[in-house]
Amino acid sequence: MTDRYRGTVVTLVLALAAPAAAAGSPDYSATVRPILARSCFPCHGPDGEARQAGLRLDDVAAARRVLASGAVAIVPGDAGASALVTRIEASDPDLVMPPPAGPHPLSAAERQMLRAWVEAGAPAAEPWALVGPVRPGLPAGGPGWIDRALEARFTAAGLGAAPPADPVTLVRRVHLDLTGIPPSPAEVAAYLSDGRPDRWERLVDRLLASPRHAERMATWWLDQVRYADTVGYHGDQDQRAAPYRDWVIKAFLDDLPFDRFTILQLAGDLAEPGPGEHPDDRDLASCYNRLLQTSHEGGVQAREYRAIYQADRVRNLSVVWMAATIGCAQCHDHKFDPFTAHDFYALAAFFADVDDEAHFKDGSNDLPTRRRPERRVVPPFARDEAAAIDGRLAILDRRLPALVLPPWAAPEVAEADETVALRIERERLAARRAALEEGVMVTRALAEPRAVRILPRGNWLDDSGTPVAPAVPARHGRLDPAGRAGRLELARWLVTPVAAGGQGEMTARVIANRVWAICFGTGLCRSPGDFGAQGQPPDHPEILDGVALELLDGGWSLRRLLRTILTSRAYRRSSEPSAAQLAADPDNRLLARQGRWRLPAEHVRDTLLAVSGLLEERLGGETSRPYQPAGHYRLLNFPQREYHADGDWRQWRRGVYVHWQRTFLHPQLAAFDAPSREECTVARPRSNTPRAALVLLNDPSFVEAARRLAEEVLRHGGPTDPERIGWLWRRVLSRPPLPAEVELLAGLVARRREEYRADVPAAAALVAVGESPRDEALPPGEHAAWTAAARVVLNLHETTSRQ
Amino acid sequence: MTPELLAIHRRTFLRDQGLALGAAALGLLGARPAPAAPGRDPLPGLPHHPPRARAVIFVCLAGGPSHLESFDHKPTLAARDGEPMPESITAGQPIAQLQGQKLVCLGPRARFRRYGACGAELSDHFPRLGAQADRLAIVRSLVTEQINHDPAHTFMNCGTALSGRPSMGAWVTYGLGSAADDLPGFVVLTSRLGRNPQPIAARQWHSGFLPGACQGVEFATAGPPVHYAASPPGVGTGHQADVVRTVQALDRIAAGTGADPEIATRIAQYELAFRMQTAVPALADLADESPETLALYGAEPGRATIGTNCLMARRLVERGVRFVQLYHSDWDHHDRIDAYMAEICPPTDRAVAALVADLARRGLLDETLVVVGGEFGRTPMAQANKGPVGRDHHVKGFSMVLAGGGIRGGVTHGATDDFGYRAVTDVVHVRDLHATMLWLLGIDHARFSVPHEGLDTRLTGVVPATPVVSLFG
Repeated sequence: MTDRYRGTVVTLVLALAAPAAAAGSPDYSATVRPILARSCFPCHGPDGEARQAGLRLDDVAAARRVLASGAVAIVPGDAGASALVTRIEASDPDLVMPPPAGPHPLSAAERQMLRAWVEAGAPAAEPWALVGPVRPGLPAGGPGWIDRALEARFTAAGLGAAPPADPVTLVRRVHLDLTGIPPSPAEVAAYLSDGRPDRWERLVDRLLASPRHAERMATWWLDQVRYADTVGYHGDQDQRAAPYRDWVIKAFLDDLPFDRFTILQLAGDLAEPGPGEHPDDRDLASCYNRLLQTSHEGGVQAREYRAIYQADRVRNLSVVWMAATIGCAQCHDHKFDPFTAHDFYALAAFFADVDDEAHFKDGSNDLPTRRRPERRVVPPFARDEAAAIDGRLAILDRRLPALVLPPWAAPEVAEADETVALRIERERLAARRAALEEGVMVTRALAEPRAVRILPRGNWLDDSGTPVAPAVPARHGRLDPAGRAGRLELARWLVTPVAAGGQGEMTARVIANRVWAICFGTGLCRSPGDFGAQGQPPDHPEILDGVALELLDGGWSLRRLLRTILTSRAYRRSSEPSAAQLAADPDNRLLARQGRWRLPAEHVRDTLLAVSGLLEERLGGETSRPYQPAGHYRLLNFPQREYHADGDWRQWRRGVYVHWQRTFLHPQLAAFDAPSREECTVARPRSNTPRAALVLLNDPSFVEAARRLAEEVLRHGGPTDPERIGWLWRRVLSRPPLPAEVELLAGLVARRREEYRADVPAAAALVAVGESPRDEALPPGEHAAWTAAARVVLNLHETTSRQ
Repeated sequence: MTPELLAIHRRTFLRDQGLALGAAALGLLGARPAPAAPGRDPLPGLPHHPPRARAVIFVCLAGGPSHLESFDHKPTLAARDGEPMPESITAGQPIAQLQGQKLVCLGPRARFRRYGACGAELSDHFPRLGAQADRLAIVRSLVTEQINHDPAHTFMNCGTALSGRPSMGAWVTYGLGSAADDLPGFVVLTSRLGRNPQPIAARQWHSGFLPGACQGVEFATAGPPVHYAASPPGVGTGHQADVVRTVQALDRIAAGTGADPEIATRIAQYELAFRMQTAVPALADLADESPETLALYGAEPGRATIGTNCLMARRLVERGVRFVQLYHSDWDHHDRIDAYMAEICPPTDRAVAALVADLARRGLLDETLVVVGGEFGRTPMAQANKGPVGRDHHVKGFSMVLAGGGIRGGVTHGATDDFGYRAVTDVVHVRDLHATMLWLLGIDHARFSVPHEGLDTRLTGVVPATPVVSLFG
């Protein structure tokens, strides 16, 4: 690092640590505890079994006591008397801590930091995630509080704010963030010509209420609860879960409050019906408890898999709702966070009544496999049609004679033509009505919950451990129901405010952090699945607390929280960094500018299909099977799998509806980092690989998109090449091209036109890609040349980026 | 390839721009040392020590081959054939399909003989491998922790049965990068006989929480070799090059603002993608192999057999690929073990022996570690509830074969008890195998970790693991 930058970085570190720091002492939560956690907790932390010398540094009060050796680790204000300081500063390799062979030695700056902290009296605090959000000491609440807080921070760090983004970038950004689909040129034009002062708020509200937004939010949630269409282990057979996916979309469409959203999923089968809810909703939502990976392999041992399933459920619950890695306490007490193995098994016990037993007996190789308990439902978006049919059937039944002739009785009297017609209609409607129903896994509570014991070292063969009853982690509080606490009590505890005995503020903070990430690319806490000692302390704790309270106070409305964030100045800033910002804050932790990132896998697909005019938008319903390389499922068995790509409208559905085969995810989704959904994913990586390039270049879905886009260009783009290129740019990128861009693409079109003039069969082959009909009036050569141009535009970095 | 495309050399380009690949991904995952180009360049600080092996070929005999008919000679079990298995051995032990059944000893179903100067014992199913005995280390004391196929594969590949963790190929490619400039660093090949093999999940070569560039890429020996590596119909090489070049030129205009380092990465990745499109067909075309070589392996161009795949594995490591994993399915012999072994062993024996011999004569064996074995072994007890006799899954003792890449030849390491049930001498846990492989590649497994969900995650996990130094030459 050059000297020129060093000063800035020091300022930045201080700026990041600033809000809670007492004068003179390094901030415990932001800096001291993470160092202790990394380098010291493995041997001097929460895990009693691994603890050395009886010393625990995760509990500062305990660390002030005299140890068996006579030493005292921390004497506040007296570094010389504090063994912590003398040992980390020791020069004798036998004495120095941490031991030199260890993986995480302390740097000189860190040793200095710890000394300074002890000298300042070793002020400590509870782990930040265990402390409920406090009403920000900001000019509290009111419009603009987020901006006031952010601006104070980056101004103090000597950074200026990035200018507001230009309106076109902004419109494109908010469409991509909220819906996963870029705006049409008409939508861009409408915004630009809207003279009303609240045009931004109107746009945000319109998008938040759109079905596209509900589909986009579903992807966000389905990653977390590891929704998939197949069981995951071994034969990876299909399972019946799609109606749950549709319920999730419907919940976002209705802005179902997140507290109710939580209760219905964890305990819909036990909950009372809520006002305005459809009677099927509780069952549909309860499919959540059945989404884990299961095995239908012959020879699975029920005891072993019960242990695997309960651990899976604990991992998912604790990461999704608590951002806690309680899953680590399956075999031993947690090494870094205050969770014991007892906490782990007590959480598992909440799920001991989930009826999962049938598949151990009737595991089948059917597609879909049997995963009782299941029931048939009309999925949420088919309800209107079902109701209309039911109404018409009732009318028909009243009008048709009740008399049913036995089949052998030849009708003596020919029925009136009208009656025949009604009978035909009735039959057709009854068939359609039956086809609307789909199977879905549901939660049913066993009368007698399975016994749950602590499994020593996680070993399912060892049943010597203590039996445990359902309980929330001891450091998080207690449940005091009259009888055995169940899933319903657990769900309520997660969303009930602290003052009323729950965890609501903490849960809200976990969820609000992930909502923030939708708008800024990363959370305010950059480890959205781990708020523990090994995670990262939040960059802006007071803002994280603030958005958590907004969520809670706003009746758990995610839509309302999104609106608050999106109407901030921070959201609307340019994502183009100044040199000073790039140098001082390369990771954009201070948020003086917006971020840039590649679109999620499904939105890459949605965007390309949308701009080409191929996208088929219907809410919910049937799963989509896009073109897929032959043999992609060849390693699947029990049964052997044949993949048939859809030849109808389902081929061009949004990514959220694509068949999610856990063991062999569609290669397009996989190449763009969509997770297999074997486990919870709270933040997808964003890779940039040759594989993704090959998909965008050669996947028939995207070649077909280019071919269709070329048809649109030829029909609507105007008569000249430059006009057509301009049309392409506005359609795909929402902006006009630069002259240099026109020149480059025009060159390509001219070269490809030349090529296909000489090779008509090649042109015909290219424009024949895909099942969608082609406008045969277009000359193949010209169409193929513009298909090449469209492929270029669809492959641009900007096309699949959010800026 | 056009001169313009060749002109942008990826590494030079990246160095000049001072850019890091996947920067956004790393930002998400927190502070972590990162290679400049994951899956290409080595991680800073690696290798930890001078490596003995440059590449790995892991031949997975998927389904769990019987150690008792291959590499673990148990004459005492033969004497017990038909007798009840002593309960003292089996009580409280995990068991798969034999749950609730009477446990009866089944003597070895194959003869063994000694091979080479070392006198190693192999069964008559593996004579050609026997001829390579002085180059092999036979480990007879493997143990694993998972008794069903899917989790056992996951455990063998990822060191844990938990989903979502990186596989060993991904770990190695992440740590060491790959010398192949136009091929993925981690390649997976599959073959089977065609009966009713156990499924294999893509989880087995997943990159988990490591960068996606480290993920294994499936390479089909029959049909198009790699997904989407062929240009669309009606698009020739020149046309595809024109498209790629124009995309890069337009991206370069956008990169000019300097706002987004990912654009430069993207330009480089399009370059690599295009080169892969050319390199993959050349690799897959076996026309440049001599008839003698094809016959040595039993390779059949265009057919995904163990022979073709072993030959392909050699071609891949020749081109600098870091980690090649072969899955040869159909080793799950619950019944008809005699017939099935007689069917599957000869082509396997031929192919694996050819791989060792061919690597050796080309001077590649010294730097290529070959590992051969399944996700577990099979019971010394008979399974007779499905027709002609077979054996059930077994985790407490089984065998693997290693060669090359710093492995001392002519070694037989470890032993199971008289029944071939439990590994008792010099036990090698799966994590010890991982530690051994990593050591040969120049990596200290204990120091090779990545923070994930609150833990410094290693391939070898949290329980101590030890490289098996007595295997080292």
